[in-house]
This record gives sequence, C-alpha cells and structure tokens, in this order.
Amino acid sequence: MKLIAFGIAAAMSLAAPAFAYDGTNCRAPGNCWEPKPDYPERVEGSEYDPQHDPAELSKQGESLAAMDNRNAWRIWHAAQTGTFEYDVAKIPGYEEGATPPAQ
Amino acid sequence: MKRTIRKTMTHVSPLAVASVLACGLAAPAAANDTLVELAQDPANWVMTGRDYNAQNYSEMTEINKETVARLRPAWSFSTGVLHGHEGTPLVVGDKMFIHSPFPNTTFALDLNDPGTILWQNKPRQNPTARTVACCDVVNRGLAYWPGDDTRGPLVFRTQLDGHIVAMDADTGENIWIMENSDIKVGSTLTIAPYVIKDMVLVGSSGAELGVRGYVTAYDVKTGEQRWRAFATGPDEELKLASDFNEPNPHYGQFNLGLETWEGDAWKIGGGTNWGWYAYDPDEDLFYYGSGNPAPWNETMRPGDNKWTMAIWGREAETGEAKFAYQKTPHDEWDYAGVNVMMLSEQEDKDGQMRKLLTHPDRNGIVYTLDRTNGDLISADKMDDTVNWVKEVQLDTGLPVRDPEFGTRMDHKARDICPSAMGYHNQGHDSYDPERKLFMLGINHICMDWEPFMLPYRAGQFFVGATLDMYPGPKGDRQNGLGLGQIKAYNAITGEMAWEKMERFAVWGGTMSTAGGLTFYGTLDGYIKARDSDTGDLLWKHKLPSGVVGHPMTYQHDGRQYVAIYYGVGGWPGVGLVFDLNDPTAGLGSVGAFRRLKEFTQMGGGVMVFSLDGNSVHTDDVNIGEWIPGDDA
Repeated sequence: MKLIAFGIAAAMSLAAPAFAYDGTNCRAPGNCWEPKPDYPERVEGSEYDPQHDPAELSKQGESLAAMDNRNAWRIWHAAQTGTFEYDVAKIPGYEEGATPPAQ
Repeated sequence: MKRTIRKTMTHVSPLAVASVLACGLAAPAAANDTLVELAQDPANWVMTGRDYNAQNYSEMTEINKETVARLRPAWSFSTGVLHGHEGTPLVVGDKMFIHSPFPNTTFALDLNDPGTILWQNKPRQNPTARTVACCDVVNRGLAYWPGDDTRGPLVFRTQLDGHIVAMDADTGENIWIMENSDIKVGSTLTIAPYVIKDMVLVGSSGAELGVRGYVTAYDVKTGEQRWRAFATGPDEELKLASDFNEPNPHYGQFNLGLETWEGDAWKIGGGTNWGWYAYDPDEDLFYYGSGNPAPWNETMRPGDNKWTMAIWGREAETGEAKFAYQKTPHDEWDYAGVNVMMLSEQEDKDGQMRKLLTHPDRNGIVYTLDRTNGDLISADKMDDTVNWVKEVQLDTGLPVRDPEFGTRMDHKARDICPSAMGYHNQGHDSYDPERKLFMLGINHICMDWEPFMLPYRAGQFFVGATLDMYPGPKGDRQNGLGLGQIKAYNAITGEMAWEKMERFAVWGGTMSTAGGLTFYGTLDGYIKARDSDTGDLLWKHKLPSGVVGHPMTYQHDGRQYVAIYYGVGGWPGVGLVFDLNDPTAGLGSVGAFRRLKEFTQMGGGVMVFSLDGNSVHTDDVNIGEWIPGDDA
C-alpha cells in the first residue's frame, strides 16, 4: 500500500508542474495568466507564433470607419431633405471618405 | 405623420390607447418611461424579457396550475421561412410583431383578426451573409420605441447582413437604415436590438471569424451614432468611466484591454455581444456580457484576454463602463459569456436588501452580482458535473481552474464539462419574484477538444479547434440522449428547488407566471408547462417543429394567451438544417445532436395558446370572413 501511495504521490509531484496554471497567481489585479508548463511566455518567435499579417489585422478598423462615414452622409442627407436615402451614390455631393458638409 | 397617427387610432384598442394616454400624463416626454409603463400592462410584451428587469415573468393568473390542462392552440402563423426561429414576438396594443431568420422579414399581425397581415417588411440582403454565420441564420428579436410628440412608434430590426433598421410601427415603412457590421470581415448581426430612452443598442457577432466585439447606441429617430464601446483594446475604445471598477479594484481596472494580450492580437480578439440586455433606469446602467476571445486555439493568444467574457455595467447615456467582471479569464473552451441577465431585488445572506443581477453563464456557473457596483454575491455551479473549475473564489473573483480540463496545443483534452455549447446557451430564462426562483433551461453536454494552428484572413473562419460533443455524465452517452435539464435556482442560498432531465438541451429559455407555471419549448418539438414549486410536468403540446425561442404571454380582450415560435435550428440544429453527418462538423454539434432528426424537422412560425383554444374566431366565427365588395 505504502509503495503504491508513494508511487502515486511521486507520479503526481512529477506531473504537477506540467499542470500548474490554475488562474490564482496574479502578476497584477486582473492579470493572472501564466504559461502552462513547457509552453512559451510569449508566442512570438515560438513554434506557436501566429505570425499575423498587420494588413489583415487592420481590415476591421478600416471597414468600421468606412461604414461610419457612409452613415454620416445618410444622416446628413436625411437632415437636409427630410427623406432617407440608403444608397450613398444617390446622395448629391457624396464623396467617399469625405466628411459631409456642416448642416 | 398624419397617416401614422390615423393608422394608430384605427388599429390600437381602446385599452392600449388609454394606457398610452395614462402614461403620457404620468411621464410626458421620456420614452423609456413610456416603455416601463407599457410593460406594466399585461396586454403588452414590449421587449425581449418583457420589461427592463428581463424576468420573463407575468403577473397573470388566468392560466394556472388548475386550468393549464385546458390550454389549446387558439391560432397560428407560418413565417414562410425555415431555419432556427429564436427570440419571441412582441405585442403592443392590438398588434403582434413577428420576426424571422434570414432574410429577416418582419410581420405585423392584427390581434383583432390574426388572419390579417397588417404589413410585412422583407429586406433584400446579400446572400453571402449566410456564409459567415457561424451557427445558423437565426435572429433573436425586435425592439419597440413608443414614439413621442414628433414621431410615431417605431419597430427596430437587425439583419444578418449587418444593418440596423427603423420601421414605422403602423405602416412597416423603413424610416432609416444604418450599417453596423460588415460581412466582408465576417461580422454579422443576430442579436435583438434594445431600446433605452431615445437610443437603440446594437450588439455584434463573429468571434468565430475573429471579429473584435463592440456595442453601439443609435438615436432612435435619426440613426445617428451616439457612442460605441469595444470589448478589447485601448481604454478610450473600451469607454471606461474614470471610476471604473473602483468598488472592486481586484477585478482589474485600466490598460488591461491591451496588457492582457500579446501584441496586436486584441484587434481580432472577439468579445462580441449577441445575447441579451437588461436595464436599471434608476442607476441608468444597462447590463450585458461580452463573448469569447478569438481564436478558440488558446495557445495563439496568451493572457487573460480582457475584456472578453465579462459582465458589464454601462451607463446608458454615455456608454461608459462603471464595472466589469471577467468570468472566464483566458478562455479555453468557447464559453462565450453573452447569456441572459435577469434583474431582481432580494435580501442577501446578511439580510441586506440588494439590487441584483443573475446570469447563468456558458461556463456552468450562475453568477449573481450587486448590479449597482459589480460586487460578487454568489457563483454556483448549475450542475455538480462542471469540471473545468474547482470553485469561484468570491473574495478574489477568480475561478480556480482544474488544469486537467484545460485545453492546449498538441494535446487532446477529454471529458471537459461543460462543452463549448455550455451548460447554458442563448436561451432567455425567467425569474419568479414570488418564489425567488430562477427557472433555468440548462444543457448537459461535455466534450473532447483539440486545437490546431491557423492563419487569420479577414472574412474567413478563425476557430482552430476540433471538437467532439456528447451527453454529460447524467445523460445517456451511448444513445446520444439526455442532453438537457431544467432547474429552479435560488441565487442567495445556491440551492436548486427542483431539477428535471430533458431529452435534448433546453435551448430556448423559459417563462414563468403568477399562475405558478413555468413554460418552455423543447428541441424535440414541445411546449411544456411545469409546476413552479415542484417541477412536475402539468401540460405539453406537440408543435410542428423544435423550439429555440422563449415563450411569451399577453392579454387581449381580457383573455390570456401564451405564444411561442417553432422552427428548430441554431447551433444544436446545424446538423439537421445543413444536412451534415461528420460528428465534428458544425463546430462539434453535429455529433451531439445526431438523434434530433428522429424527433423533428425544420419549420417556422408562431403558435398561440389559450384556455380551451378560445380566440377572436371562436368568439365570432365570422371575423375575418370576406364580404363581397370589401377590399380587405
């Protein structure tokens, strides 16, 4: 029995470091992540480096800016004319990316 | 405008007009007050969750434990669309507003003659939108703004293709359309819009395509953007109040939207919100949860990944966050934290009356917070088989992870509970304030999970994990059944008053009433009523298809009706809906729900019930008949 118990304990103590991240060791409030044993602290340059393309990462922000701009023209046009027009190409004076004239 | 007013007068019942006039006197200008007043009238169901407390609770008692056996279909309506029918219809005065999955057609029915479609608004959408929807082409509902001195009432709709639309509630005409999300980058909309004061809130979807989540407020009348707040990145874009998390600094405060990510990974970090909202007008705070970080492959994004997976309290007027509590730091299981927020006022363990928020999360924990400051009051496992976490420490707020059930590259984790579908998903549950019980529609699904590396390309899926899902330990894993539970939960004692197993996940949510009944729909195609005190099954009815929405109830001409959408779909229906057989397809749901097709097929519509099936048509069989010479 003792031997078995010792064996299990030994196995666990060996295995334990490989399963260390339990989320309670914080480097700062709200920042408690730790790398799992044998996994990198930073993935950049490691075998798990996602190698994100900055051009891809910026597409969402660009898309939001373009949508917000089109919306601004729609609102401007509705305020000017009292009618709503979704298709910005039909809005007189519309210029892609330009700010609508002051009301 | 003149036309709008005339239509209003002809189609709204004297009762509804009286109530509008009454609240007009009580609170002249503020639209949110009018919504509060309208919600108090059992004739109306003006928003998701019925009122700002999001309790899905009705004071009505005509349908009760004694009479429920007499519940019969009164009338029904097919939307003409297949796929998952989530959410619930709205009723205001004499109109029922019905929404559909893609292409997101909106219908208004006349409750004085439900055979008459007053108007329908069918948008033209780019069909490509369907290809970037992760989990069926569902939509969770409409929103209603009651109008003011200058503008008649409006109905709001989100579209899968990313638009938010304001429609005239009386004619269905488009008033304005704005672009909120771009399908070209994988960003879609399935969430129901939500009206607070003179603003309409719009969430976001697409974390499975690496979309960084945000919530936006628009002016109800013009569509002008008031504010927008993101879930990750710099504090200005998170829109944090200067005293953000001051009552609980250990939750974390400033700069964490960047510091808990490596490099620019936060730019494609997920955290979309496609669940539900609740609002406390006295605090002027609204509540919602941010979703999972992207990708599912945890190894590709070291850090706590704030503020994904967080419960937010934001000021409606400014959008500024007063508090946020991250439930699942560094998610490893896709426990998207967008689930329902139910508000209540209860005494805590020390006998102190508190304003609370209760939230059954995907991760298997039901969280209850003080909704004025974010204090953690309780965090209980909704089933004892939850194993990714040993416990949630109430003093630190930290979940104590069990490393055995984490996920990581070059490793296949097994028997993790809950699965990515969560022990609770998008279902909008209910709270019975008399019994102080939350009626929780629960999933009982566990999983194996193995991540893999993949690049990010805007517009393409960015998941990076292969999953096998199956019934939890209390289900029948051999036969693929026993995937759901329904329980009555007390948030203060942490006890379950009762619990019952279901064949499939209880996906759509629940509704409870002062009649002592808890209603809910099932994926295998039933609407059921249980005794709120004991959980005993008192009544059920076989619907044309499975249910993924929540029941609602309203009174019309003094009679109580219960309505529910049918039309199976959503994530559990992906295998059936898209005819998939690979068990790991549909992000792993195909295997878990392989038996579903033996019990139901696709559908789409509303079924309305009343005692003995009484309706305007049984009152007068001639209502709705064509009379020669009549144009209607």
